[in-house]
Amino acid sequence: MTEARDKQLESYVRAALALQGYVFDETQIAEIVMQFSRLDAIARSVFEWPLPFASEAAPVFRP
Amino acid sequence: MIGTAGEIVRQIASGARSAASVLADTKALIGAKDPALNCFTEKTFERAEREAAAIDALRAKGKPLPPLAGVPYAVKNLFDVEGMVTLAGAKINAANAPAVADAAIVARLSRAGAVLVGALNMEELAYGFLTENHHYGITRNPRDPARGAGGSSGGSAAAVGAGIVPLTLGSDTSGSIRVPASLCGVFGLKPTYGRLPRSGTYPFVNSFDHVGPLANDVLGLALSYDAMQGPDSNDPACAQRPAEPVAESLTLPRGLRIGILGGWFRDWADPSARRAVQLVAEALRATQWAELKAAEVARAAAYIITGAEGGALHRPRLIEQYEEFGPASRARLVAGSLIPASWVVQAQRVRQQAYREAIELFGRFDLLIAAAAPSVAPRVGQEMLEINGRSIPTKAGLGVLTQPISCIGLPVCTVPVWPEEGETPVERDLPVGVQLIGAPWRENLCLAAARTLEQAGVAQIRLA
Repeated sequence: MTEARDKQLESYVRAALALQGYVFDETQIAEIVMQFSRLDAIARSVFEWPLPFASEAAPVFRP
Repeated sequence: MIGTAGEIVRQIASGARSAASVLADTKALIGAKDPALNCFTEKTFERAEREAAAIDALRAKGKPLPPLAGVPYAVKNLFDVEGMVTLAGAKINAANAPAVADAAIVARLSRAGAVLVGALNMEELAYGFLTENHHYGITRNPRDPARGAGGSSGGSAAAVGAGIVPLTLGSDTSGSIRVPASLCGVFGLKPTYGRLPRSGTYPFVNSFDHVGPLANDVLGLALSYDAMQGPDSNDPACAQRPAEPVAESLTLPRGLRIGILGGWFRDWADPSARRAVQLVAEALRATQWAELKAAEVARAAAYIITGAEGGALHRPRLIEQYEEFGPASRARLVAGSLIPASWVVQAQRVRQQAYREAIELFGRFDLLIAAAAPSVAPRVGQEMLEINGRSIPTKAGLGVLTQPISCIGLPVCTVPVWPEEGETPVERDLPVGVQLIGAPWRENLCLAAARTLEQAGVAQIRLA
């Protein structure tokens, strides 16, 4: 993780927390940023997986 | 040992035992074993006395007995039980009003004659593969109390593994039936997504939430599964298909094509887990390797969807009552509630693609096998797992082999496999579960394979 990416993530988390009505202290925000960074790392592999352009989502999954 | 569900049903039908005497034995076992393990968060003995008395009255009148007559069972405390607060392992729920009715599958088990003896401990809000609950304590492994029971249905697995009850109910979003079943050495069934109704259960991730039984033998799984099947309009994800009973036909068809999952599933199985898979493969005469290439990305997709749905579900109370959530879950839940929509949509597209790949694989195989956990039960408080030279956090890592499968809703029966004499880690005498994975709606094959392994002595329960 680069320093620039870390800053982007922290900025995003602070903005999204405010948008959603959360109020936290700095210690709590640091913990949430750390958890969000883990999700960001996992999300990268989801975006790197090759998909056909028109492939559909499974929002209500029924096998 | 309390006996298996099938044995209890036969004993009560023959008059060898009464339902009241089975219940008395169960209460004694709870009193003797639960203080050291912490499986139960509540007992329902008054209700159990009524249910047992009703069974004994039926027999006294010479009337037919229902299929689970007098079988004691307990449920993860996210199932509604009439008159009881549904905790879902969380302090934030403790002040809620008691449930006004039983969850759908609890009501169905009651109608089938089973006797409810209590509610069981779990990971807070079902978010994690341990049952080291900040509010309600640690549930310990009946094989070794220094080790965890796994989660999130830890109380459900430990109560069966300790021989307290023959049958429990759990839920499985990412592996929460299969992981604790593996660590505690019991049988578990995660049916196809949508097979059993979730009405009256506390939700976690609607896209992935499954419910199912854990038991001390395969027939117990099958009898309870049969009793719980059928459509339920109160659960929008529950399939509108009739019950397909399996208990009378637990025979594996000849010529079944069974594949051993390699790739991700072998990479993340340590030597004890690989050995368990090998024993099962040999017993089922499986020699062909199979690969689900999307396993890793399916797990990643499940992570994103779980974070987003779980976070969104709890967001209002995270805003108002953050400190009342356990420290292991609250920051994760908030972070999940911030996930952008584009990540979720992409994850759902990946999920659909992974499902298609699995269906293609089932064109070549009828059943797939893989370990249910990457290793034997870790010690309580152990933060990292070491798997084949790689480290992974225990809390998430225990589900590394189950999460790709629940992401795509396939039915799985988990069977307990033990180290053989003289084999590492025999000194610990700890089991590893093996997943028997079927195509959608083929629970019958998963259970028939489990029964074959049980009869061969490869998969069995061993009481501590």
